Amino acid sequence: MNKHKSIDEILKKVNDVKILHKRERRIRVDVAADSLTTVLELLKGQASFVHLSAISCVDWIDDGEFELVYHVWSYEENCLVSVHTRIDREKAKFVSVYDLYKPADFFERDIYEMYGVFFIGSPRMEKFILTEWHGIPPMLKDFDSESYVQNTFNWTEYNPDWLQELEQQGGGIAIKPEEIRLSGELHNMSTHRERDKKKKQDNVKGWKS
Amino acid sequence: MKKELKIKEKSTERTNPLARVFDDFISFCQSKSLFMLHYCTGCGAIELPPAMTSRFDMERLGIQPMVTPRQADILLITGYVSVKTLKRVILTYEQMQSPKYVIGICSCTVNGGMYWQSYATAKKLNEYLPVDVYIAGCMPRPEAVIEGLQRLKNNIKNDRKEQKGSAWKDYFRRYDYYLGNQQHLFGDDWQTPTDIIAEAKLYGLETEETYGKHTDQLLKIQKPLLPQEMKVRMKP
Amino acid sequence: MRPENYQAVQLGDSNEYEIFIGPNHPGIEGNYAFRLLLDGDTIVKGTADAGYLHRGFEKLMEGRLWIQNLALVPRICVPDPAPMEVVYSMAVEEIMGIEAPRRAQWIRVMQLELSRVAAHLFTFGGHAATTGMYTPMFWGVADRDLVLDLFEEFTGGRVYSIYNIPGGVRRELPDGFLQKLSHLLDYLESRQNDYDNLLFTNQVFVKRAKNTGTLSKKDALELGVTGPNLRACGLEFDIRKNDPYLVYDELDFEIPTQQHGDAYSRILVRRDELFQSIKILRQVIEKLPSIDGPIRTTIPNPLSWNVKTGEAYARVESSKGELAYYVVSNGKDKPYRVHVRGPSSMHAVQTLEHLAKGARLEDVAQIMFSLDACPPEVDR
Repeated sequence: MNKHKSIDEILKKVNDVKILHKRERRIRVDVAADSLTTVLELLKGQASFVHLSAISCVDWIDDGEFELVYHVWSYEENCLVSVHTRIDREKAKFVSVYDLYKPADFFERDIYEMYGVFFIGSPRMEKFILTEWHGIPPMLKDFDSESYVQNTFNWTEYNPDWLQELEQQGGGIAIKPEEIRLSGELHNMSTHRERDKKKKQDNVKGWKS
Repeated sequence: MKKELKIKEKSTERTNPLARVFDDFISFCQSKSLFMLHYCTGCGAIELPPAMTSRFDMERLGIQPMVTPRQADILLITGYVSVKTLKRVILTYEQMQSPKYVIGICSCTVNGGMYWQSYATAKKLNEYLPVDVYIAGCMPRPEAVIEGLQRLKNNIKNDRKEQKGSAWKDYFRRYDYYLGNQQHLFGDDWQTPTDIIAEAKLYGLETEETYGKHTDQLLKIQKPLLPQEMKVRMKP
Repeated sequence: MRPENYQAVQLGDSNEYEIFIGPNHPGIEGNYAFRLLLDGDTIVKGTADAGYLHRGFEKLMEGRLWIQNLALVPRICVPDPAPMEVVYSMAVEEIMGIEAPRRAQWIRVMQLELSRVAAHLFTFGGHAATTGMYTPMFWGVADRDLVLDLFEEFTGGRVYSIYNIPGGVRRELPDGFLQKLSHLLDYLESRQNDYDNLLFTNQVFVKRAKNTGTLSKKDALELGVTGPNLRACGLEFDIRKNDPYLVYDELDFEIPTQQHGDAYSRILVRRDELFQSIKILRQVIEKLPSIDGPIRTTIPNPLSWNVKTGEAYARVESSKGELAYYVVSNGKDKPYRVHVRGPSSMHAVQTLEHLAKGARLEDVAQIMFSLDACPPEVDR
């Protein structure tokens, strides 16, 4: 655990850093957006965190913020540091870390496509995976994939002859797939139970009358 | 939903009394030697190497992989088709020479499969291309793939009696329908280098449904393909 | 609009011309395209063109239950699906603060190593086929099928097993399974000589593969290369040893390395790794019967299961390199965000572009297969 303490000391120089030792070999660091590059530079320069494992983006739509998470790994310290920072959702601009980590090229381009965050200084801010896509960035929480699919495609429902026969006799599927698909929230078990209860009550009523 | 089509094809009356025998013989031969272009559009491609190599051995049925579309008879679509891939699949399909057959492997080509929710994949393959045989499953085992290929072979062999092995003709007969679906997905300026309408005329497969508002749209924007100017400059 | 494919030949003022490889090309692994700028048959610049396999996995996972996503994740990498479900389960377990029982952890190790064996056998065949040798492909695929048979027996699925759940594994091993596994390992070991003679010491192959696609250690570290490709450059690093998960710290195995960083070194590392995996599996056969206990901990009703708020970054060593999942939960029944870091997203884009520069046209396929790139991991 000595090594991990040294990381604490390195990052002391930066203002507003929260360091959390989550478990062995995992450290979470929260910084303000301004000092993110400083933190990564310090980590790379003084503690040899040379491997950028990933950059993840999380869309916190209720807070109006994007969270960017830089996962860096040190081959010498054998430790993974996740540096968290938050940026404004409306502005959606941030500085690139390409000059520090070359793999950032791929991840930043990916986030640019999927979330629309522009990275200043990243070499290839262009479409890569979604070249045939013309809508809003699809990973945003505003984008409703299901309704887009409903409006664009039609797919074959599974409706074989034996099921149609059953339905004519008054049976069939208890919860139709459309009901699960189209309701915004998942059709969870409680409603299923309520429905069963209702059915039972109806049965009881019918029996009584 | 397929309607009964009024086909104004060229007269199909055959004067030779042995025509039927020859037709049957030709379709028998066709069914025994099929070259297959497997487009690895998705996960189903992983079950093809076992099906093709020594354990399940597709070659004993007379089916061999082929690497170019122009020499291939079967287009094997192995798995979900994303919109970006679908464009290339259609280009590949139109480059193939008739008669040509399409097999859709995996549930995703039937109705979207487990990606029904996805914004990036096309759901029903037979809206964009005429499909001969579907092999459902996620993913179908090599035995199922071979079973499907057997069925295609039988369809080709008995085509004169059952009319099941000529889905490719449907692409010419109802080109407007297929083009409409393609335009819906790719935009109105969608154009391929192959002139399907001219080919339909050539094969004598024009029907009323070959034309429609979608083909009108295509004719409006279609530019004739001109050979590219060749310039070769040698190094000084 | 005419698709981009049809402007394939660009004749400018220079001698350079542009050609496309893929997406439907026998020399490309999967559905992936590569745009090359050539001078003669030397590559001036290569540009990767991905997205043909894009399904929007991360979006799909946000719309499904925690337990439903287990059916989705193995589809991200088809040749080596087992690490996907294990790493997803590990991430969820870390958020939940639960731990799989010891027996489940041993079974997971067995599943991971079997999957690695299958994936490596498949890669040998693919790599050899790019140099024009088709017999190793037939052998590799046939031997891989024997592993898939075992998978089918103990998980029920040939390729996609969907065997793990957060908190353990689904089913107990069938009777006499370890015996069968032992026989398979004997068989694979007996094949070692055959493979060496046919492929690894065959001069036809060696001459093509040596000094092709050479990656220096410095470049490899800079480009984020991981897994066997990094070990082929001489760095002794393996997540199983250096960031151990499951019970790998109790197992005895070595990290095979090579020094040159070319295509031949990479396939040799994979060959050695295959036999290290067999060594691990032998230990599992020895240990597993003595470990009793449940195969999973109790978890709440999976259909109304709210994972508590939190985030986790779980990573494992898949057969291709470092595979990691970043999972965020906001206390609902569905994940708030899942980010997949596939190893090939580094190998197939930037590293391939880097290695293609200056290579010859006929070597592109070999370089791609020697990196063992898996396009669905790039596109997701």
